[in-house]
Amino acid sequence: MAAELTCKELVELVTEYLDGALSLDELERFEEHLVYCAPCVTHVEQMRDTIRLVGAVREEDLDPVVADELLAAFRGWREDTA
Amino acid sequence: MKAYKFLLPDRVAPFTGFRWPVGEWAEADRQALCTAGIHACDHGDLPFWLLDELWLIELGESVVRGRHKLVAPNGRLVRRVEAWDAAAGEDFSAACIERVRGLAARRPDAAGHLADLAGWAPHVRPAAVASLAARAFEAFESRKGYDDERAEQSAWLVGRLGLDAAA
Repeated sequence: MAAELTCKELVELVTEYLDGALSLDELERFEEHLVYCAPCVTHVEQMRDTIRLVGAVREEDLDPVVADELLAAFRGWREDTA
Repeated sequence: MKAYKFLLPDRVAPFTGFRWPVGEWAEADRQALCTAGIHACDHGDLPFWLLDELWLIELGESVVRGRHKLVAPNGRLVRRVEAWDAAAGEDFSAACIERVRGLAARRPDAAGHLADLAGWAPHVRPAAVASLAARAFEAFESRKGYDDERAEQSAWLVGRLGLDAAA
């Protein structure tokens, strides 16, 4: 194992980091990386903001047209990947 | 025990956003390595946490050692280490580059690492220069090279900042 996390490894761990689910060793390596890697700091902040904003959206907040478009897109995705 | 703590400007902790008071004891909710507790550095930990401000911190009892940090249930900032400033950061980065230059002199295939490091150094924090330099040594001298370079960085900081005298 390399001494430090790579940016790719950090991106793979970011959800667990924000959920507080990293092991202690992973957490220390994760935070060490954030000390020197400004782009990863930005990525973590963007993910944190995204989760907060998306979590605040209720189904009734969606414009019905947008809701229909999203449902159609997901149905198409399921068909494409089936 | 006395230790050191790097903070963002105005004594702000990088991961919690906590703004440290000076001279007042701060208490952690519970002591658990990494996830809670007051985090600090001994000399060998310093290169891993380089940020804008360096403070001398007094830690309470029951200090636990992490991979590259100390964790305690409480602590208080004693005083700022004024010698760690932008000029010291630039000199620290230059010293890292010089050691990688020495590596490239012994191992010509390390020239790319040297070029990358010298190119990036003016645009990134000293912490990034330190990491790039250590990884250059790791690439050619495995983990021992990495650890030795980190030890060199620590020794540079202790000497330049007069940390033995500070503690």
